[in-house]
Amino acid sequence: MFRKSERLWGKAPLMSDYDAVIIGGGLHGLATAYYLARNHGMKNIAVIEKRHIGFGGAGRNTAIVRANQRTKENLSLYKEGLELWPKLTAELDYNLMFYNCGNLNLAHSEAALSAMRMQVASARFFGIESHIADPKECKELVPALNISEDITYPIFGGMYHPPGGIVRHDAVVWGLAKGAAKLGVHIHQGTEVLGINVEKGKITSVETDQGTISTPRVLNAAGGYSASLSYKMLGIHLPVSVLTIQAMVTQPLKPLLDHVVSSGAYHCYANQTLKGEIATGAHMDPWPNYTTQTTAHYIKHQAEALSEFLPCLRGVRFMRIWGGLADMTPDMAPIMDGNDPIEGYYTDCGWGYFGFKSAAVTGKYMAQFMADGECPDMLRPFTLRRFEQHRLMGEMAGTVVYSPWN
Amino acid sequence: MNRLNRLPTLRVNPSEKLTFNYIGSSCQGVKGDTVATALYANDVRIFGRSLKYHRPRGLYSMDGECSNCCVEIDGIPNVRAETTLLRNGMNIRPQNVRKSPDTDIMGFMDKMDWAMPAGFYYRCMHKPAKLWPFFLKQIRKAAGLGRISPDFHMKGRYDEIYPNADVCVIGGGAAGMTAALTAAGQGLRVILLESRPWLGGFFDYRTAEYTPSQEGISRTLCERARELSEQLENAPNVRTFVHTAMIGAYSNNLITAFQTGNKSDAFDERYMEIRAKSVVVATGCIERPLLFDNNDRPGVMQVGCAHRLAQTYGLLPGENAVFSVGHDLGLEAVLDLYDMGVSVACVADVREDGQDPHLLEKLTERKIPFMRGWTAHTAHGSKTLEKVTLSTLSGAQHREFDCDTLVASAGLTPVTGPLTLAQAKLAYDNHTGFFLPEKLPEKMYAAGRMLGLQSPLSIETSGKLAGLSAAADCGTSLEHEIKQTREELRNLAGPVRGSKFVTAPVRGQKSFICFDEDTTVKNIDQAIQAGFDAPELIKRFTAAGTGPGQGGIPGHNLPLLVSQWHTDSGLAVQPTTVRPPLVPTYLATYAGAKHDMCKRTPAYESQKKAGGVMQRAGVWKRARRFSDDIRCQEEVENVRSNVGILDASTLGKFRIFGPDALRALERVYVGDMSKVSEAKIRYSAMCNEDGCLLDDGVVVRRGENDYYFTTSTGRAGQTVEWIRYHARYENWDFSIVNLTDAFGVINLAGPNARKVLEKLTDADVSNAAFPFAGYREFAIRDTIPVRVMRLGFVGELSFELHVPSSFMQTLWELIEDAGKPLGIRNFGLEAQNLLRMEKGHVIIGSESEQRTTLHDLGLGFLWYRDKPQAKTVGAVALRQTEHQEGRLKLIGFRMEDASSRSPKDGSVIVDSTIRGYVCSARHSFALNEPIGMALAEPQLADTDTRLEIFEDSGDDRLYAKVVPMPFYDPEGEKLRI
Repeated sequence: MFRKSERLWGKAPLMSDYDAVIIGGGLHGLATAYYLARNHGMKNIAVIEKRHIGFGGAGRNTAIVRANQRTKENLSLYKEGLELWPKLTAELDYNLMFYNCGNLNLAHSEAALSAMRMQVASARFFGIESHIADPKECKELVPALNISEDITYPIFGGMYHPPGGIVRHDAVVWGLAKGAAKLGVHIHQGTEVLGINVEKGKITSVETDQGTISTPRVLNAAGGYSASLSYKMLGIHLPVSVLTIQAMVTQPLKPLLDHVVSSGAYHCYANQTLKGEIATGAHMDPWPNYTTQTTAHYIKHQAEALSEFLPCLRGVRFMRIWGGLADMTPDMAPIMDGNDPIEGYYTDCGWGYFGFKSAAVTGKYMAQFMADGECPDMLRPFTLRRFEQHRLMGEMAGTVVYSPWN
Repeated sequence: MNRLNRLPTLRVNPSEKLTFNYIGSSCQGVKGDTVATALYANDVRIFGRSLKYHRPRGLYSMDGECSNCCVEIDGIPNVRAETTLLRNGMNIRPQNVRKSPDTDIMGFMDKMDWAMPAGFYYRCMHKPAKLWPFFLKQIRKAAGLGRISPDFHMKGRYDEIYPNADVCVIGGGAAGMTAALTAAGQGLRVILLESRPWLGGFFDYRTAEYTPSQEGISRTLCERARELSEQLENAPNVRTFVHTAMIGAYSNNLITAFQTGNKSDAFDERYMEIRAKSVVVATGCIERPLLFDNNDRPGVMQVGCAHRLAQTYGLLPGENAVFSVGHDLGLEAVLDLYDMGVSVACVADVREDGQDPHLLEKLTERKIPFMRGWTAHTAHGSKTLEKVTLSTLSGAQHREFDCDTLVASAGLTPVTGPLTLAQAKLAYDNHTGFFLPEKLPEKMYAAGRMLGLQSPLSIETSGKLAGLSAAADCGTSLEHEIKQTREELRNLAGPVRGSKFVTAPVRGQKSFICFDEDTTVKNIDQAIQAGFDAPELIKRFTAAGTGPGQGGIPGHNLPLLVSQWHTDSGLAVQPTTVRPPLVPTYLATYAGAKHDMCKRTPAYESQKKAGGVMQRAGVWKRARRFSDDIRCQEEVENVRSNVGILDASTLGKFRIFGPDALRALERVYVGDMSKVSEAKIRYSAMCNEDGCLLDDGVVVRRGENDYYFTTSTGRAGQTVEWIRYHARYENWDFSIVNLTDAFGVINLAGPNARKVLEKLTDADVSNAAFPFAGYREFAIRDTIPVRVMRLGFVGELSFELHVPSSFMQTLWELIEDAGKPLGIRNFGLEAQNLLRMEKGHVIIGSESEQRTTLHDLGLGFLWYRDKPQAKTVGAVALRQTEHQEGRLKLIGFRMEDASSRSPKDGSVIVDSTIRGYVCSARHSFALNEPIGMALAEPQLADTDTRLEIFEDSGDDRLYAKVVPMPFYDPEGEKLRI
């Protein structure tokens, strides 16, 4: 802290040749660049970002991390992802502010409790700490909770997952950029990709508004824009719907919530950031679009929901709401794929709600994929071809329909 | 403190006293006071302590742009004292203070700034890692200003309204009032929103001369404001909402706001959503803070704050004042305050020229020292202001003055929030120094001081122009008037040149650009050095503008400062994003008068009376069980051995008819719908494009091209959309009517069901006349028309009676009476759950998930493959997945040890990894052992396979074996009696 500030990442001229070009200066792109350089000795890497790094989902999510996913394919990935935060903090020498507060997910019916039991049993089988809490324990964990019967969806219990928490999302963007830049990665902000060139089924170059880059490897990590980019530039159709997701914060308070609290029935989660704000959000407006505009009913819904299960917050004010894009697949699981059908073309998108918590670990495996050309076992289930084979992943129990309150 | 009580601008009534409590002592204010002015009148100068450095903070602005005057009132944190009206009995406490604001023991933090450069927490505290939890705790403790108790109960009444208007005017100053009057003059319905408790804006507190065009009578601005306000009161089609803060603007001119109620109102706060055809934004300006060392010292305040404190509330800000201004409003304030008795040591103006000569004359008349090209440089005083150093803009010369008040302002900044929320893009305007909209969104107009106008006539004329333009949007032809007014405005004084000066020539360690986050000018420099280029990133890195007041204080200065310092001169000066709500808004207010809306079936009361435990299931409230026994043994056994009734009214019920109705059914149902007959029900399913089960139900034909069908409860809402969507390109002629709420459904089930039904109807309901899977329509007691299906969901003889909702209650009672001698009783959802499980019937969402196809569930037989012309949704996938390997399968199981308990729902099936999970498992009373259904990988699907079950508690494993389903009455004999 006594050092004079130095630039976290430098400015480099755009070269005409890179070993790998990563489209998107969000978390997934930066993490992949970082691990390509760190684990695979690749130094000649460009991250191309149209706006500034962290402009998209990376800077708009509410930074909740957890590993209590539903299916075994996801559990092992998220488990490793969760364990990465402290390691990365040390490795990047940048405090990612991992606040290991634990997550409490509320159940408002017998059916929801059964669904949670399955998640808890699955997590525990993989050695991930998680347990079912009765309403009394929920109240002990979060004293502000209303566990009375007189609300729309009375609380039947919850799933408590102590290893989860929140991370400072901006710090992860900046830390990864710093780490990657230190290893020689070039981060080009304000640069737009205009085209991807393919010859004989292989990636040859990328066109940008700052010039053409020859490269044998391209990663599409453009978040909300990845599906349109994939279709426009390569004709590859991804089963992705882009929806606006909104989040908001209240004015800052002294410590009130010691855990992340979430409720499926109320379509609402809330946690207290290290700045003291109550950050909250959840469902999406059901109409696909590419704007990040907020909507009036969303913030109202959020207030209605919190009024019920965290009623003391009625005396607190919302001070800021914002929107971001979520790229949703039909099974709410991501698409991580590569070399199919174009050699050298890799995709990492469709993350929907889960882009933040998975970013670092995905970067690690995508880097391995791009360096070896072989899909690591960890990523195999996430292939794009699962959709044409009707093999949806089971991350969401119910059928996903993009209707109100999904 | 004495009040000046004879001012024409006064908005308080000094004779009406209000009592309140401040840190344990009883204080007095007067009616009309805000909490801030009342505290100020009681000589409170330090209102609270700042976030990071615990610096003393006091009254700075009058509109609550920062957290300086956030206080706790009656247990509610972060209440903006400047905009909250004082009420009798309020209990007021300062925030972020240990002990009292004057003697805060955390004050030493102010000396620690060297240890806390911008983003310091990212660069330290993680080494060594084991100290991080300690630091984390300290960060949490330090963060946040207010405190709320987890048991806090928000009192008060909260309401919501959704008015429509032709024109919505935001801002009740001179421009806004003129716009409203103009639009109303065209016969349009107008809504006017004003955030203060009165109309008038910048005119309201000023006694400077208003220069009328034709009349010779001299009037003050204040008088003019009240004149306009009176006209508005008399305008028949204007609804004026004062004390109403506009908080959001959305597409198609949806404006949100909230109103603070008066004593006489039926609400404390009221949320508003206004849909207007056209919108006029006339929100005026706030002040742009002047940055210098210790610019946050209590005693330093903005021009409007000092001016309004005196004129509106009758309170002099201090005795000895120094002014450092950048706008003529500052000079006007000097004169007024001087005339009221404040001694003015000196007036510094950052402008070298451009001041109104009349104002300068008056300064000279009063012998007030005036220094052009000078600025406040440093404020002195350990807790409150004692002295100020002024300097030339370059810092070459300095002079010191003793004072208790420093009125400081760099200039004005327009309140463009409403415009940017409506997606207007702002660009820097070099003349005014404002960020002004390049292009306004459709049907939105800006008027008044926010455009840089200063002359009262220009302001009103711009309001008139906006009002006419908005009226024209509503269909009035006003081309000529608009042209004329535009011409009129062109001949009046245009926007005034604005000062661009931001920061005094200081190092900036203690010059605060953002009070809420304690961000200094130096912190901005540090962020730029760390490589953060854009104001948006600097905001994130330094937190400037992310506190309770959002961009109110730093919003304009930050981009100006960045552009001055930035090495990369090519970068355009860009403001940071403004986000809703523009004024922080209580959750209680947003929530409004929330009612718990759920649907009740027509037999709800009867079930409740019978002891039904009513629980929410989707949009409905339904009976889960009718006793304390969560296993519902008696309910279940009564159905198996006698007769029970279940209210199944929540089922989706539809009529589809028309020449192409059958085609539509064939499109969405996987079965052969052409075989649906009039006397027989057909059970079928709907799938999605992946062949996964979405819905199931029965279909009957009631006439030519006329069908009646049911869906599961959860799908009722989506069914019409689903069918329409999948027929959208076909131009088919059919209609669908959703009868879900129009019909009630009673399931009369059990071996004695017929005995009950026979008592109520003359129709022949014998097994021969009305066999299993039959459909009949007849009358109950010759009166009540019923549609009856013989179904087998619970596995017994059962009649499902569909009856118009209006007859439901009567029919329910008739059946109860008829069944009484037999011992009929209610059964609820939990009993039904076990009953259907014993039959191996799936409930969608319980035994199926989004990835399970019809085949996976063993329901492939429902799919009729020989109707390719129907293009049935999911048929392609059903063909492709029919023999696909590796898919989860629905299996039935019994425990290895029949005396064991059943595993909990959701337990997983494992070997070396997870292989599946238990969907539902219960103790079967009929079989006297636990049974269950699970989704598991196919290698575990064969009969007699051993299943290892791992529960959420992680304790002992349970073992089961796969058995064929159904468990109960596999031949279905009980259904056919």
